[in-house]
Amino acid sequence: MAFNITRRKFLQSASLAAVALPLSGAIASESGITRSPLEPKGSLKDETVVGGVCEMCFWRCQLVGKKRGDRLVKLEGNPKSIDNGTTICGRGNAGIQLLYDPDRLKYPLKNVGERGNPKWKRISWKEALDECGTKLKAIRDKYGPQGLCMFPHGATAKYPMHFMERTIGTHNVSEASFFQCRGIRDTAYLATIGKAPNEDVDMANAKVIFLLGCHFGENVHVSHIKRYIQGLQNGAKLIVVDPRYSASAAKSDIWVKIKPGTDTAFLLAIMNYLVVNKKYDAEFIDEYGEGFEEFKQGIKDWSLAKAAKECEIPVAQIKEVADMLAANAPNVSIHPGRHVSWYGNDFQRQRSLACLTGLLGAYFVKGGWVPGKAPKVGKTSWAKKDHGDEHNLNRNADEEPLYPYSPPGTPTDLIRDAALTGKPYPIKGAVIWGQNPIQTIPGQEKMKKVLQQMDFVMCVDVMPTDITMWADILLPEASYLERHDLIKTGTQWDFADKQQQYITARMPLVAPMFERKDHVYITNEIARRMGYEKDIPVQTVAELVDKDLSVAKLSLAQLKKEGGIHLLEGKNPYEMPDDFEIYFYNEDIADAGFPGVPTYVPVEQSPAGYARLLYGRVPLHTFNRTQNNVWLHHAMPDNPVWINDKVATKMGLKDGDVVGFINQEGVKSRTTTTVKTTPGIRTDAVFMAHGYGTANPLMSVAVNAGVDDTSLITKITVDPETGAHGMRTNFVKLTKDGKVIDIPAAV
Amino acid sequence: MVTNPKMPIQSATDHIATLYRFCAQSMQYPDSEWFSENYLSSLYGLLDALGGSAEKEKLQTAFSRSKDILEELQIEHTRLFINGLPHVAAPPYGSVYLDKTLRGKYSDDILLYYRSLGYDLAAHADLPDSLIHQLEFLSFLAEDGNREGEEEFLARFFLPWYPMFAAQVKEEAQHPFYRIIVSFIDFFTQEEKEYGVQHNEA
Repeated sequence: MAFNITRRKFLQSASLAAVALPLSGAIASESGITRSPLEPKGSLKDETVVGGVCEMCFWRCQLVGKKRGDRLVKLEGNPKSIDNGTTICGRGNAGIQLLYDPDRLKYPLKNVGERGNPKWKRISWKEALDECGTKLKAIRDKYGPQGLCMFPHGATAKYPMHFMERTIGTHNVSEASFFQCRGIRDTAYLATIGKAPNEDVDMANAKVIFLLGCHFGENVHVSHIKRYIQGLQNGAKLIVVDPRYSASAAKSDIWVKIKPGTDTAFLLAIMNYLVVNKKYDAEFIDEYGEGFEEFKQGIKDWSLAKAAKECEIPVAQIKEVADMLAANAPNVSIHPGRHVSWYGNDFQRQRSLACLTGLLGAYFVKGGWVPGKAPKVGKTSWAKKDHGDEHNLNRNADEEPLYPYSPPGTPTDLIRDAALTGKPYPIKGAVIWGQNPIQTIPGQEKMKKVLQQMDFVMCVDVMPTDITMWADILLPEASYLERHDLIKTGTQWDFADKQQQYITARMPLVAPMFERKDHVYITNEIARRMGYEKDIPVQTVAELVDKDLSVAKLSLAQLKKEGGIHLLEGKNPYEMPDDFEIYFYNEDIADAGFPGVPTYVPVEQSPAGYARLLYGRVPLHTFNRTQNNVWLHHAMPDNPVWINDKVATKMGLKDGDVVGFINQEGVKSRTTTTVKTTPGIRTDAVFMAHGYGTANPLMSVAVNAGVDDTSLITKITVDPETGAHGMRTNFVKLTKDGKVIDIPAAV
Repeated sequence: MVTNPKMPIQSATDHIATLYRFCAQSMQYPDSEWFSENYLSSLYGLLDALGGSAEKEKLQTAFSRSKDILEELQIEHTRLFINGLPHVAAPPYGSVYLDKTLRGKYSDDILLYYRSLGYDLAAHADLPDSLIHQLEFLSFLAEDGNREGEEEFLARFFLPWYPMFAAQVKEEAQHPFYRIIVSFIDFFTQEEKEYGVQHNEA
């Protein structure tokens, strides 16, 4: 566009005054530039800010921020940390790019288009909060609290989740970290040893480290990796059970190339071998074991040969694993895993891991499962109220739980099915906070239908992830570098060192930019608008953290003074608690109608022409959360599909070929990726990294990069004891140049 | 509403300062506080003075077809500059273009430059390298008759990124309003190299 006059002429013309005069009357906004005292050759002050706690993943390494003026220029590990120390991972370093990502959410947005095909309009916080409060209240008034559901994730979601559950009174809350990740592990161990296991294995002091599916190196959490590497450095043997030659398998003494879905058979055979050959810790079991006789009986059919056939691995290898474990017991780390929502038979596998640890006497001993003793802090939140179980979807007509070993909250598909059928009651309002259910929960189309039938959907997030396309109101949250929130406690990472404890609390390293707000502000403002003013437990997030710190006679000010981390003298982590018991056979599980002794349930096999779709981590991404980070994207821009090299040859594929996918239900991948041929994967499975293939074009770096594995997980499998999902139960063929290519069963 | 601090207008430098401020105003998020009949008639007046009758017509046609002019511009502003589909078209911050990130080193350099000439960011300000603040800064320089500063700022800070921003807006804008505004800004800044700043008729 060109104007019919040159600038020079215009500025020199007599009409300039005539034009400019009315313009001056149209200027209404205050200038953001002001006159200030002259600072001729100024420079910006450099400083180090303490109190950072990373959230590029959930491990929460302690940070310091290097600032120039008010700009954060670098993140480093906090030198005072006895957890991650001065080390942070690649993702931790790239936190700066999240902070300053131009695609991040900046202002409250209203969707004036359609759900799934949004048209965004910036609105004021007042308008946004009024709308959220009014709509949620209207749904509660019309349908009852149970008419609302929530899909939360992360440190900031706890406070609003408690508001939903405890104050409003809906059971319909489903956390991805439980129902699509670690919930099965936690409830299986709770049913076996009375405690959720976390990843609390003393690998640094182990003689054998046993990993089932864990792929450290591709899955990086700093102090966890330190324990693992220290153990290997000290000479620990490494056993890795995985259909794929993972980064851990590459360091292993024994790689068990197991058939997917058969892990429990493998574990039962090892345990039976240890029992039959009296290679277990009888003394430990006498003292702490319950139901050992039933257990022995229950697993007695699992010979090495039977398992070898089922798992498609050599008998000798199972024996070698069992003997290696027995010979080094009790100083063995049987890792409980973390993401364990695999095949829909996972509760029994996790119980098996807990029992195997017990057989080896590997609880509260060097190298075994050792939870460490962390200091106590407060847990301020919304007051608990009894809302009864009348509207608890996880109850049958006799008020018995449908999924007795469900993690806290309600199994995801109970919520989704009720929303879709309106039975036993309608669910018409959804609060999505920090979770991306489109890329975490199997059945994307189902999820979309659930959202489509809602009267109101609100999302709170840092980035415009795929789920945010389905919001009516989208609220921008302050990132982990811009807010206070959680308190983290723990111990030094290596129990061989002097016993120490620490307390740290996340503090902002920079002020939030644009109009981003924290979770306490957002929740409280919505609560006020819904009539819950008197229930609000704290006015600010800093007040909440201070209150919780006061239990340990600390404050944010004191913590800051101490460099962001408070250190205390530690306690002996190996001391066995007086009440420790291990239930090899659990009568309660049996009474609930499930196997009381760990039991193998075979899973569906690949149909002809298909391979099982496996997924996992890569070191420079945390699922979908980091996909738009420009540094991390540069390092790992897509997720090549691993295919066995012989299979690939038979299919006429080579490294770098561009392929898509079609699953057993005919669902095609929206995007493509490249082929990585390798002998390091079984012939009946393919593997890709999870979290790629973002659909939301607002994520301008991540959009359409790689393939979204979740989009191919359309067959929904539910673990019967827990109600959590199994997500490795789908099968794919490849597509190339518009043609579908079968994956041969045998090569 | 804040009234223009520079009333009454006295000199050509003040007029130029007003032009910069008007452009800055036009890039603010549209709301009824400033996007008024008064604003629109000023805008049309400016288009008339620049011989932009075709642009004026396009704008008037677009507005006449609109059910809600303000909301339409709010959606367009959100899409172009905040979070938009298919992606935020043109973030109005220099360091996105020069450092490939928000709040890159460029934003520090520009802040130091403001300060070196006796200016700073107000407490309510956006990021230092925001287009609006750069135009406001130019307005102050023009008002102070600091021709050298204006030229240096344009050459060192503004022109290295603005053409990239303007090109993206022109390509992606669906409403003529922002095409016209970025063309104004182009007009008042881009030709500096060729002609130099002429503050007085001489």
